Amino acid sequence: MLKTTVVVIGGGATGVGILRDLSMRGVDALLVERDDLGYWTSSRFHGLLHSGGRYAVKDKEAAKECIEENTILRKIGKQCVEATESIFVRAPEDSEEFEAEWVKSCKECGIYAVPMSMDEAFKLEPNLSRKLLSAYRCPGAAVDGFRLLWQTVASANKYGGKAKTYTEVIGIETVNGEVAGVHVRDRWTGEEYKIACDYVISATGSFAGNVAHLAGIDVNVKPSKGTLIAFNHRICNHVVHRLHPSSDADIFVPHGSITILGTSSIDSAPDDTSSETSEVLDMMNIGKVTFENLYDYRILRVFAGTRPLYSADPNAKGRSASRGFVALDHAHDGIKHFMSVCGGKFTTYRLMAEKVCDIVCEQLGVNTACRTAEENLVDGPSDDLMNRAKAVFPSYGAELAASRLGNEKLERVIKRIESRPETKELVCECENVTLAEIEEIASEPSSHTVSDLRRRTRLGMGTCQGTFCAYRSVGAVDKDDMPWAKDTVFLFKEFLETRWKGIRPVLWGNMLRDIELTRAIYDAALNLSGVDEIK
Amino acid sequence: MAINKHHAIDPDKCTACTICITACPVTAATRKFRGPKMTGPALTRLRKLVSDDDPMLDYCSNCKTCDLVCPSGVPISTLNMLAKNEYYKTHPRKSPADDMLAHSEKMGKLITSIPLASTFANLGMTIGKSVGMLGAMGISSNAKMPSYASESFISKFKKIKQTSYQRKVVFFSGCFINYNQPEVGVDMVKVYQKNKIEVAIDENFVCCGSPMVAGGYIDDARVNAAKNAKLLKAWVDKGYDIITACTSCGLMLKQEYQELFDFEGMSEYAEHMYDSVEYLAKLHDEGEFNTEFANDSTEYIYHAPCHLKVQAIGRPSMELLPLVPGIKIQEADAGCCGISGSYGFKADKNPIAMKVGAKLFGKIKDSHAELGVCECGTCRLQMENGSGVPAIHPLTVLRKAYGL
Repeated sequence: MLKTTVVVIGGGATGVGILRDLSMRGVDALLVERDDLGYWTSSRFHGLLHSGGRYAVKDKEAAKECIEENTILRKIGKQCVEATESIFVRAPEDSEEFEAEWVKSCKECGIYAVPMSMDEAFKLEPNLSRKLLSAYRCPGAAVDGFRLLWQTVASANKYGGKAKTYTEVIGIETVNGEVAGVHVRDRWTGEEYKIACDYVISATGSFAGNVAHLAGIDVNVKPSKGTLIAFNHRICNHVVHRLHPSSDADIFVPHGSITILGTSSIDSAPDDTSSETSEVLDMMNIGKVTFENLYDYRILRVFAGTRPLYSADPNAKGRSASRGFVALDHAHDGIKHFMSVCGGKFTTYRLMAEKVCDIVCEQLGVNTACRTAEENLVDGPSDDLMNRAKAVFPSYGAELAASRLGNEKLERVIKRIESRPETKELVCECENVTLAEIEEIASEPSSHTVSDLRRRTRLGMGTCQGTFCAYRSVGAVDKDDMPWAKDTVFLFKEFLETRWKGIRPVLWGNMLRDIELTRAIYDAALNLSGVDEIK
Repeated sequence: MAINKHHAIDPDKCTACTICITACPVTAATRKFRGPKMTGPALTRLRKLVSDDDPMLDYCSNCKTCDLVCPSGVPISTLNMLAKNEYYKTHPRKSPADDMLAHSEKMGKLITSIPLASTFANLGMTIGKSVGMLGAMGISSNAKMPSYASESFISKFKKIKQTSYQRKVVFFSGCFINYNQPEVGVDMVKVYQKNKIEVAIDENFVCCGSPMVAGGYIDDARVNAAKNAKLLKAWVDKGYDIITACTSCGLMLKQEYQELFDFEGMSEYAEHMYDSVEYLAKLHDEGEFNTEFANDSTEYIYHAPCHLKVQAIGRPSMELLPLVPGIKIQEADAGCCGISGSYGFKADKNPIAMKVGAKLFGKIKDSHAELGVCECGTCRLQMENGSGVPAIHPLTVLRKAYGL
């Protein structure tokens, strides 16, 4: 039987942060995730590493935490963070008094907010609306959720921490009011088994209520859904915030090759990741205040995630509920060594993990101090390795692959290309993903679908949204040594349908033309829907 | 780069359909170039994320076949040119020839201003070729370099006595006609006079900038565009139409300026811009084209330059030349000749240019035509170099048919 000290449930930012923290303190820990890492909330956000500016007026404590963690993550997570800086802009409809208060608050919280002339702002960001009145530079940044999660796990791996994806917890076993283990099901094989442990931490965000329920405990999470719009290009090169009290659709983040606009706030079920066209249009109308030609930019897709807002008051709702996090020790509910963590922000994931692990370690009698702020998640590639990479990749590919893969995997991918030069060919042209990377990630035991490869490599996340890389990637993984890739029709459908889900609410203009091309290839040419020939 | 919608460049329209790759003559000739979709709209999304661009973008010849075939109207080649120009801000150029070829006007001015200089310059080219001088400069010894005329077109123009007519045009001769083949300009004036059109020139026009953009000197091109755009707008305001007899100059002034730069009046004057043969075809449509031709029994083969095709003005030469009695003319329909302005002259690009043009050369040879016909000056050089058959401008055919 599998045994560990702590089982962490949930492969989002909070869960992987806890896994890494415990592992670095020498505590044996295993993370189980029902889906893929970052399948839920931790990838369904702006990709914004907050400076704290957004919270400076309303919640100084949160703002201070943000700027501290922002500084730490820029250092330890270099491969995941793009230090773009952010610009806060005030529109004519935004209050001048708020601006003054905000400037004062940022100063109090230690967040630099450097005023600049609008001419400077327009020079930095030529697409900004000419109606805007004032602008400040702040230390916001863009962060890649998928990458941060996998690299946090990679860091935990070095200290013995492990993560199992597609492993669903179906029961929490207690003996005499104390946790004894969890029962899980492998979602691919259907196999059920027990993992014995001394402690269970549920870091399941919006699902915390469902997981606590397995042990007969109530946790009041109020999931609040936020929709995000991904544009095909960078509209801006800095994060752009509206300078007003936090509201819908007032943040633009240049995220890799795209721009993300978010978000909305609607009470929802924990697994509701749907978006309606009407939400998109509402957001576009607000976004237009910041970028006046917003409707001219091509929308790639929309996606939605739920904020795991917690309130002891079961009737609290929406954005006004606390964004601070809670660690609920269920000893108070009659079960020892079971904790639920919910709430919080992606930016402060490391700090939340530290605080949770301080409590857990104390209960486990472990005295080691937290070291997660001191060590990089993964090593950056050495000059030597980058030179080897540049010799085999197209020059774009080398840098992009290095930040996607981290040092170790990059080296393995380089070796693949060195031994088989044809694997440097691009499977995904929009995001520059080579065949070698696809083969490397596909051979890992955590890969079960093309979407899994997508989350690791950005395959299919660009302009064509999978039209050209779907058949190439399925062709690349359809091999005898890849047992998960036998059912190619399933692979096609799973991948294309997840793409379609995000495109459907924004099916106009160029995206409509694009999807018709997709349909022509997969439905007409490849007959993926299996329409019979008329005899 | 962040995409600027205040600008005419819109890679957002690309659906990644890949038709540009299937049509790109350079991609077909060499794996060194990853194709227009990749270099243009696809990598435009990624350029902000990486510290270095891919040197393969140097292989785009700016023939603009990609723009022509794109069903979405993406100015792919212009995205490539913008990227190339960015690239050369931080990278050394491959050869000193880049500078010379991009600034052909400088060279032309210098040579035609000194008596007998053209003779020596042309001799220099020949000797330079034989002693490997050009090779050292990065110019291919296989390419047929344009020779310089002893007298510029502008100088010749001033000696032509014109009849004044109601219909007036201003002729933007461009560097190649002005310095290398001034006779084509003279042909133009004679043919236009025969059609009751008065031709003006403007000595203040400067090089259109096309070779500068293609060579990675966009800042120099901007300076020229500012000058030309202002002058052209003023001519149009005076009621003149604008004529070019070089399809690359025409494309640059009419279309590429608007894609690359943001000067006032560009779209206004562009509506009054015509290729020299297109303008005559328009006259023909209006029933005013002079068809009093003498017989011409020469066999011709016509090649449509890429920069004519991308202007989407049809094949005016193939409408008008067949009107000449006795003429035998066929269209080569063999794609790009490969030279693409200055591209094929460069040592590292010449083998690609010759491979691209191979189909055309074969067609010309197999046709047994006595003369090639083409609007573009460097295409004509490439046709001659690749097939051994001399090539002339369609206006030259018309002038002969008018018995002038």
